[in-house]
Amino acid sequence: MSTLASAYTPSTTGHPVRQVLARRPELFTLMLLVALCAFVAAANPDFLRLATLFDLARASVVIGLFALGVFVILAAGGIDVSFTAIAALCMYGVTKGVVEFAPGLPLPVVFTLSIAIGLGLGLVNGFLVHHLRVPSLIVTIGTQYTFRGLLLTFIGTIWITTLPPQMDDFGKVALLTTTSSQGATIILPLFVLILPAVAVLTWWILRRTLLGRAIFAVGGSPAVAERLGYDLRSIHLFIFGYAGALAGLAGIIHACSNRQANPFDLVGSEIDVIAAVVLGGARITGGTGTVVGVVLGTLLVVVINNVLIMAGVPSTWQRVVVGAFILIAGAFMVNRRRA
Amino acid sequence: MDHIVEKTRSRADGAGVAPFLAVKDIHKRFGGVHALRGVSVTITPGQVYHLLGENGCGKSTLIKILSGVHRPDEGVIELAGREHRSLSAIEALEAGVETVYQDLSLLPNLSVAENVGLSQQLVRAHGRLATVLDRGLLADTARRALSAVNLPTSEDFLSTAVGDLPLAIRQLVAIARAIAVKARLVIMDEPTTSLTRREVDNLIDVVRSLQQDGVAVLFVTHKLDECYQIGGEAIIFRDGRCVAQGPMSSFSKEELSRLMTGRVVDGARYRQAKPAGATVLRATGLTSGERLREASFSLAAGEILGITGLLDSGRNELARVLAGVQRSTAGSIEIDGAAARIESPRDAQAHGVAYVPEDRLTEGLFLDKPIETNLVALVLDRLRGAFGGVDRKRARMLGARFVADLKIATPDLDRAVSALSGGNQQRVVIGRALSNQPRILVLHGPTVGVDVGSKDSIYRVVQSLAEDGMAVVIVSDDLPELLQNCDRILVLRAGRVVSDLPADTADEDAILKVMVATDDAVAHAGEAP
Repeated sequence: MSTLASAYTPSTTGHPVRQVLARRPELFTLMLLVALCAFVAAANPDFLRLATLFDLARASVVIGLFALGVFVILAAGGIDVSFTAIAALCMYGVTKGVVEFAPGLPLPVVFTLSIAIGLGLGLVNGFLVHHLRVPSLIVTIGTQYTFRGLLLTFIGTIWITTLPPQMDDFGKVALLTTTSSQGATIILPLFVLILPAVAVLTWWILRRTLLGRAIFAVGGSPAVAERLGYDLRSIHLFIFGYAGALAGLAGIIHACSNRQANPFDLVGSEIDVIAAVVLGGARITGGTGTVVGVVLGTLLVVVINNVLIMAGVPSTWQRVVVGAFILIAGAFMVNRRRA
Repeated sequence: MDHIVEKTRSRADGAGVAPFLAVKDIHKRFGGVHALRGVSVTITPGQVYHLLGENGCGKSTLIKILSGVHRPDEGVIELAGREHRSLSAIEALEAGVETVYQDLSLLPNLSVAENVGLSQQLVRAHGRLATVLDRGLLADTARRALSAVNLPTSEDFLSTAVGDLPLAIRQLVAIARAIAVKARLVIMDEPTTSLTRREVDNLIDVVRSLQQDGVAVLFVTHKLDECYQIGGEAIIFRDGRCVAQGPMSSFSKEELSRLMTGRVVDGARYRQAKPAGATVLRATGLTSGERLREASFSLAAGEILGITGLLDSGRNELARVLAGVQRSTAGSIEIDGAAARIESPRDAQAHGVAYVPEDRLTEGLFLDKPIETNLVALVLDRLRGAFGGVDRKRARMLGARFVADLKIATPDLDRAVSALSGGNQQRVVIGRALSNQPRILVLHGPTVGVDVGSKDSIYRVVQSLAEDGMAVVIVSDDLPELLQNCDRILVLRAGRVVSDLPADTADEDAILKVMVATDDAVAHAGEAP
């Protein structure tokens, strides 16, 4: 059957490097990241100090958790813009609750509470998306306003600047310590380990379980997935519930890390997160992407937002850089399809 | 041909075996349409069935009921000895009913291995998604099923995304998925539409080995020659009823056509010999990549030229190069004696070349847009009204004219094209191609997935266009179609034109011989990619 087989070689064209990149778009993200780091390091050797790296790691956690949640939804062909509102509600609601009613509540319970509220709100999204059959962008724009409105109307608008001690302490538990160029002590907080742990969990769910493949199947074609016997309702509830739970986790970490809870915080950073996911090689139309790509995309956005200034690039230019990178990556992805 | 050998086998095989599946007196209505009106069908293990009928006769509805997509309004389904009012998709799969849909129902973003093997895992888990994948089993299942349909089983092929594969390969992947699990009944909805002869033969081998394992196969097809070749039972539908059933060999082609359409359709040649007009198109040394190498031919006004060959012969590339969809890397095209640069569909249109693509669903139609919008999409600049908008009245008139001329069966022009049957959709694509008043019409697989009655009327349209002086190219692997309609038939092999036959004296066997002749020799010599 030599002729049969000969017709099946996929039409790979172009340079071998291009072919590898076409199969693994996250390598492109890695190249951008390395190039950017090399540029910043050349302009300002301070970039390579542990203190800077610790700052980057700390800054990656919240945006990375958001990005993993969005990615799971994007993989199934949906989108979520309500996760920041969920995170803000969980963060402020739980913190305020602990401060006012149960100052001594053990930390694991605080975290569980925040994650559970996030899960519940995420399930609301999933329920609405599935049963109203409305595009998830519209549903989550609606719930973003609603969740935020509920937070500001019923829970409160006043900054909490003194956290309960168990939360405050958690943000200060050090994994490693170093001194900055000014001589101050900089710590790498223990909670940075949460991001790799959740990344591995997400990778495992997406790659190694039937649920994960079902999520990508829905991202490929919901109609076909349904016809093949996949239960769309479970999938919708899971992806939005998972993203909601991660938002709840990110929210409470955000409070611990900043040692305050600001109800006006977080909302507005959705685009940064979606940019991180897209820069990591996931297509906005769904069904593609990898966890490694999402983590790299997150690091890219974090580096741009936090250390470009070290290379003498004014902070106002950061958005231009993010935008340019998205355009470059976007053009690259389109070419990949045509190749 | 082969079917004579198959003639008497069918009935005896299934006799005395308990049926695997039986539907009794099934009714199904969609709004005001009574799609199935009391249909009863019995499926016996190891038997092959051909569900025949025109588009819209209820075939698709029946297979959707069998595979758990639709619920019947009335009637009973007996599956493996148990009675059901209706089936769910998972129930059908668990009982071993596998369906290869016409749209293939593949997931373009998932790998070949996943497309083939995931359903098995879903069934094993009884639809419960919170299950860890058995990746070893997935790969093993995929390899076994792929080798059964003669596809490669290399790691590379297993991990290729299905969306990156050509249509014919995707079709085989869909079939591989169906046989990957312990299937008891495999339903194939037009499985051969994008396969070449050789791949069809390959598929028939697969069906034979399924039969030997006691698996029943239900084909839904318009290709009667293949049905005869495969043999088995014919089940003939018309207007939601089963009008006849019996061994395939007990029906003549004419009889089948009459049963399906309710009228007499003859298989005679449509083409009347005509003196050739002036040459309008001359292609010299057309080359495109590895697939098309130095093809040269000419085409006269009022002439119908058939182009055929195996899937990898370059016939598809030639059609696309003529239409400007694919660029040529060498060679030239002359139109009316002057060199024509055709590098985009727009260039082709400017030179009076109209193209009806092979895959009308993805390349040819705005499926969810109204018929009128589809028909006038090419000539919007000529319909410009006040303030630069589209003149709705003239668009409507033009649309209505094509609907009448091409006999498109629709109550109105505002209906979405997706609501039309395959034959009517194809007429919309042809109508749009004609709207630009082309001088050269390139039809790529013009009757793929189109029923007998619609084929007849499409052929009549093509003939009358040639009558009026249009030069027509039909690129197709449907040899009877080319023999019935063309003046000349070009046969391509390994990217080159190897034969130019007059259609009135050629026959299928002769063409087939040329198509495959030294093909294996070429492949073994290492020339093929």
